Order: sequence, then C-alpha cells, then structure tokens
Amino acid sequence: MGPIRPGERDEDRHDRTKLIPWVDMERVRSAKVLVVGAGALGNEVVKNLVLFGFRQVDVMDMDSVVRSNLSRCVLFREGDQRSGKGKASLVAERARELDPESLVKAMEGKVQSLEPTDMGRYDVILGCLDNVAARLHLNANSYHARVPYVDGGTSGFRGRVQAVVPPLTPCLQCGMNRSHFKVMERRFSCTGQDTVFYQPKMAAEITTTSVIAAVQVREAVKILSGRTAIAHVMHYDGLEGTSEVFTLDVDPGCPNHSVGRLS
Amino acid sequence: MVVRIRVRNAETGATVDMELELENTVEEIIEGVSAFWEKDPGAYVIRKGRRLLRGQQKVQELDIQANEELELIPDPEGGNR
Repeated sequence: MGPIRPGERDEDRHDRTKLIPWVDMERVRSAKVLVVGAGALGNEVVKNLVLFGFRQVDVMDMDSVVRSNLSRCVLFREGDQRSGKGKASLVAERARELDPESLVKAMEGKVQSLEPTDMGRYDVILGCLDNVAARLHLNANSYHARVPYVDGGTSGFRGRVQAVVPPLTPCLQCGMNRSHFKVMERRFSCTGQDTVFYQPKMAAEITTTSVIAAVQVREAVKILSGRTAIAHVMHYDGLEGTSEVFTLDVDPGCPNHSVGRLS
Repeated sequence: MVVRIRVRNAETGATVDMELELENTVEEIIEGVSAFWEKDPGAYVIRKGRRLLRGQQKVQELDIQANEELELIPDPEGGNR
C-alpha cells in the first residue's frame, strides 16, 4: 500500500457509501440496469442509481414531458415540455450531469417492444410504470429471462414496492386478482375500428414518489450485493407514516411459474 | 358452513362484517366490500396478518378463524405520469 494524503478519502465520490460493509460497490459499478419509465418514479430512480454509483443505466420511455410532470421530476426543467425531446433522453442527459462518469443511455419506445432476450442483458430491472398491462409485460419477460425485477407504484400518499427474484420468489402476477384485470380492461376501449388506450390522471406527489423510488433502488443494491430482498411486497402509507412488508405465495395458476416448471 | 369475518378499509379505518361460505374466494371478498364502501374503481388486495391473499384462494384454504379481521388495501398503479 502506498502513502496516504490528508483529505484523500474526500476525493472519492463514493467514500461514505463504501463505509457500509455489505454494499458491493464493484458490483454496483459493473451492473447493467434497465429502468422502464422515465416519469416521476423513473426520475427519482435514475437520480438515486447514479448518485449511488451505478454506471450502466438504460432508461426507457415513449413519452415527452408535459408541464404537470415538473412537480415530481427532479431531472426535468421548465421549458423541457417545448424541447421536443423525449423523457428518456432528458433523464439520460441530466443524469450524466450528476455524474459524468455514468453511462446513462436513453431508449425511446414502448415496454412492449422488449423481449426476454433484451431483458437477459441486464443484471436488474426497475419498473417505474403506471399501468397494469405494461407491468405484466415487464414482469413476465424479466421472469423468463431470470433477471430480478423491482416494481414500484404510487397513488397519492400510498405506494408499493415488490422485489421479484426469479426463480425464488412469487412474481407480480401472483399477487394480482380480478380487480387488477378489471383496471386493465378499463384502460382499453374498442372504437370498432381501433383499440384505444385510456390513461386516467392519477393523484401523485413528490414525497411518496421519493420514498418508493428510494426503496426500489435500495432493493436493487441489496440484490446485487447478495443480500435478501424484501419478501415480498412493501406497502407504504404516507398519511399514517407506516410501511409494512407482506409475504405472498406463488400462484400455482400463474403462467410465469407454470412455464418455469415445464422448462 | 358460514364463517363470519370482519374486513377493515385501510383508507378510512371503517370495518364491515361479512358472512362467507367456504367456497367464497378472496376476489369475492374484495368485490363485496368494494361495492359496500362504493370504492373507486381500482386494484385492491386483502391482507391477513402479514400475508397478502391470492385472489382465487377460497375461504376454506385461508385457515381463517371466526371474527378474524382482514384488511382491504389499495394496490397503487401509478408512478410514471
């Protein structure tokens, strides 16, 4: 070991994080992460990933910024809504400003264009979505690719995080019931000529978004560092100031697990 | 056989008693209390202690005791817009 210099440790951006003994910073730095959704949760998740020390982050979204996003999106700026740039491009651009050594890349497109072979390139996938159909697609494809998937969701002051670690844990679909599928059906309406996707405006605010995104990134760090993820679903109630983790059983009728048993 | 349980609404703290047949499912409990409380259309789950119940589970599979309390929790869908 060579000589040390005064103040040397403060030159290391991640010195304080490295003081947490179980965090595998080498794994964090080398991991390839996919974030799907570059809106409220996606902004916070990418910000947290980059500040934590993740280098290789791909962020996917099909939308562009509207002004009402600005109350919850730390990486968007006034005027972005007129820039013509997509959310994913803006998030990638601003995240690289947070850490110029990060390699955050934008993927403009729909989650439905991702297949299991695409998922297999990643070490962990974070879902920052706002509808059941997109979640089911990401859940199924990441499960089949055997890539851990950490899903976040919010509604007003409530939120949830589920960590799916295939093949050990139940998946998102295992925890869904008829009420989820009714919500999904209501999103699609048939005009007779075309199928229209209807996305209602949902209550959202930054404090709950921040909490849920922070838990998502922490779970990704735990999984990559070899620690056990939450088992299996965390529900957060911001009004009560509580969070609880609930266990969930694998649904024997879940197609994702049935396929796993056959293969 | 009929089992009487209590369901708590996590959003309001209100409770309602339900009488269930062993063949009733968790989905039917969700739909029953959602209709009773005139809940907004949305996704919900039911917890029994520290466990989330699967929708298609029947009452007879739940090891449920008379007058046991379950809780209806909203399952948040948003986060991207």
